[in-house]
Amino acid sequence: MGSGAPPSLSRWLPLQQGEVLKLGLRNLYIVPTGFGWLWLGGALFLQLVGIQTQSNGSVLLCFLMLALQLLSLHLTHGQLEGLEVRCGQPEPAFAGETAAYPLIVRVQSACEGLEWRLPPGALHGVGSLGPGEHPLTLEWTPGRRGLQRPGPLRLQTTAPLGLFVCWSRWQLPTAQLIYPAPKPGPVRQVPMADWRERTEAAGALGGEGSEEWQDLRPHRRGDSSSRMAWKLLAQGRGAQTKRFQDPRLEPSLWAPDPTLPPEEALEHLCDRLCQLHRQGQSYGLALAGLQIAPDRGSSHRDRCLEALALCH
Amino acid sequence: MPLNVVPLKAVAVKSVALKRRGGWVPWLAMGLLTAAAWGVAPFSLLGGLSLSLLVLTALKLREAKQRREYRLVSLLQLVTAGLLGAQQAELGSSLLQGLAVLVALAGLLQLELGEVTNLGKLLRRSGQLVLAALPMALVLFLLFPRLGPFSDLGRLGQFGAAATTGLSTTLEPGTIATLTQDRSPAARVAFPGGGPPPASQRLWRVLVHGQFDGQSWRSLNAGTTEAGMAGADTAGADIAAGPDPSLGAPPTPGATQVWLSEPNGLPEVPWSGSGLPLDRHLKRDGQGQLRHDGSVGVRKLYSLAAEPALATWRRQAPTAQDLQMAAGTNPRLETLAAGWRRQGSGDAQAVEGAKAVEGAKAVALAEAWFRQQGFRYSLSNPLLPETAPLDALLFEQRQGFCGHYASALSALMRAAGVPARVVSGYRGGTWVVPLGGSAFLDLRQSDAHAWSEVWIAGEGWRTVDPTLWVLGGQTPADDPAAASVQAASTGADRAGPLDWVARQWWGLDLAWGEWWLGFDQRSQERLLQRLLGPYRDWAGALLLVAVALTLALGLAAYGWLRRRGEGDRLQQELNQLLRSCARGGLVPMPGETLGQFGQRLRQARPLLGPELEDFVGLLQQLRYGRPGAPQRQGLDRLSRCGQSLRRQLRRSPS
Repeated sequence: MGSGAPPSLSRWLPLQQGEVLKLGLRNLYIVPTGFGWLWLGGALFLQLVGIQTQSNGSVLLCFLMLALQLLSLHLTHGQLEGLEVRCGQPEPAFAGETAAYPLIVRVQSACEGLEWRLPPGALHGVGSLGPGEHPLTLEWTPGRRGLQRPGPLRLQTTAPLGLFVCWSRWQLPTAQLIYPAPKPGPVRQVPMADWRERTEAAGALGGEGSEEWQDLRPHRRGDSSSRMAWKLLAQGRGAQTKRFQDPRLEPSLWAPDPTLPPEEALEHLCDRLCQLHRQGQSYGLALAGLQIAPDRGSSHRDRCLEALALCH
Repeated sequence: MPLNVVPLKAVAVKSVALKRRGGWVPWLAMGLLTAAAWGVAPFSLLGGLSLSLLVLTALKLREAKQRREYRLVSLLQLVTAGLLGAQQAELGSSLLQGLAVLVALAGLLQLELGEVTNLGKLLRRSGQLVLAALPMALVLFLLFPRLGPFSDLGRLGQFGAAATTGLSTTLEPGTIATLTQDRSPAARVAFPGGGPPPASQRLWRVLVHGQFDGQSWRSLNAGTTEAGMAGADTAGADIAAGPDPSLGAPPTPGATQVWLSEPNGLPEVPWSGSGLPLDRHLKRDGQGQLRHDGSVGVRKLYSLAAEPALATWRRQAPTAQDLQMAAGTNPRLETLAAGWRRQGSGDAQAVEGAKAVEGAKAVALAEAWFRQQGFRYSLSNPLLPETAPLDALLFEQRQGFCGHYASALSALMRAAGVPARVVSGYRGGTWVVPLGGSAFLDLRQSDAHAWSEVWIAGEGWRTVDPTLWVLGGQTPADDPAAASVQAASTGADRAGPLDWVARQWWGLDLAWGEWWLGFDQRSQERLLQRLLGPYRDWAGALLLVAVALTLALGLAAYGWLRRRGEGDRLQQELNQLLRSCARGGLVPMPGETLGQFGQRLRQARPLLGPELEDFVGLLQQLRYGRPGAPQRQGLDRLSRCGQSLRRQLRRSPS
């Protein structure tokens, strides 16, 4: 009774490509749902009862059900036929978090019971769309950083009676920029002076992270255990997290901790940059082969995060 | 206001996870099905199956959470409606079943369309779907080859019977008197293509009581037939014919009697005693009883065709059973009959062992004797004694009702050596011509009657009604019961206002029955012969073409209905006016608002002025006005205004 086509069948059917998906006879597929088969069984049962009892009531209802099924085949197909879908410009998002992916759906007459699915997610209902253009937001959870394309997108409908499922699969053409998942953890701080010296001397980055904590706040779930004030905890003063603040007002550059696996180090760095941005501090980024001078503001943050998302 | 631009929605369409609730629409369908199941015999196979399915569906609906579970519920509701349709074909039940189907489909639509919660809107959508599918369903119904039943499992409804009021298989004094006081409906009969028989011939037989034990008359077909008494029953099997259901049989004429019989607790149903059964469930037996092998606890709708020759049962020779007499139980009656026997045989000396008197002569003697005795018709009679009850009736009490007199006459005939029996059924009925539907004869339980049948050599079984002899010398005013019998025989009406309403409904019910039951395997064969003539073999191709055409028609009709019934009424009204303007060469300029276009139109067509102003004002008020304004009245006004403007534009196009 599921409303999707058998996965084995879907796998064998070609995936639609291109900037715009225009649904029509060549790229729409339709098969009966499990409920459709059950409906057919119910109609045949009524036909048998009608024959056995020579009753016109059962026979007419059987034929009405069959006629509805035949009609439904065309009506379900007609819901998606002529539908035109293209991608919007997706906003960057963080890996591991729900990302919004915009679509523009253009409907000629009307489309009812539209549903979509981005594997491995669940089926989502859109409802009925009137004629015209409708922005539609797909929600998905990217697993990795970089330029990622969700999908393939499956658009389907079972309206009006749920007897047939008509669908098409489309490989979304526009990639979405996905930043590393922000996870608190150790990062490496490169003081500006050292950085200047070293870059001048050897062109290499170095320096230590901030080791002086200035303040305490209650420990929150997700806070790194390395920031836990263990001494205070042992004294029975509760779980506190150390707040570090650069003792110098001079902006600093931040780099991934070389002792950690690269992806994990980037995630920690992403978190640190977001934190600094929230605090309104000036910061810069030092990556292998790429340095971004310290600065403030959203566009600076986005530049830094993009560098993190795309660094090799 | 943009004139014909579909605005881009500012907010992205919100997606929702698919976990929809069925709401209360499926429960409404359950309620309708429960009402439609009223009166179904719970102990019959089909009845039990339908009721079990109904309960299971309700339980499933109660626990349903997912869309697929609600879908299953809707399907079960449809199947239940189909099962009920197989058992109850009257108009009221059929309407309820149809409504339940419509609501079950509305439940399915709600699951798919999601946000539609308005029942009226859902029902309209459901009706549009059914209307679109109906032409194809009717084509299949009319042209798809009909099959006969697979086996005797056709008697699906024959288990058990809930006895209700009605005639009894045992005729004892008092039984029919009780019925006479009951004004509840017994049956309705319509006569398609003709009027009712004359009032004097309106005798509707149900049961034949052939077994007499000196006190009561029993029907032999009551299911307790004793060995050695089965002559009448087995003889009946030979004539239980009806037309040959095979397709090669010559076409039979259409129905001349359509009956709708209330439950009477018996398999025997009323009929005129003449007619070919058109229903496979109907069987005639050798005694002239018509049996319906459906469930006995439900209403029965059946039809009969005209029978060209005398009914076979009338010529069915009597058996020893029809002469059986418990000798000595009513000695004075036997002495009287012996006297007739002597008169009939012409041997005044022979008392014992005289030959049987000829039937017609015996009837004539009995009539003369009955008319002389001054019998009185009465429903309030003292109980008859257990010994020699008929002697007490005829020679002491001298008052009684139809059952008494029919019993006495049949016993007298048997004692005189003439085969005779008692028949019970109904007499008369009221001819009702409703405002709509079929005219019909309305039979009430108070029309219950009993009479005799006497075997006349060379003629067969003759109907003899001694009650009419008794009533011959009595005015109806003497006795209400007698008045009832006479009114029935003359067709006089005694209806109250409620009866009038009920009769209008029954008229429609019977018209539905005529049409609905009239179509069967034979009717389909006749239709195909008429449509295709010598090209009968092309029926399959005809069916395919008809299905394709009706599918296209259904799709077109559905599209039209959807466009007509849905959408933005304001935009529709505006578009209609713009089309009319365009025919006169007035088209909105790019970027022109409605107000600006209205001004330009007023300048071009000064006559439209005030109405055009109204139209634009109303449209803008309805589109942008404060919510809560009387929307419907406003729409109606706008529609009237638009009509008037279009009319004026047609009259002066330039």
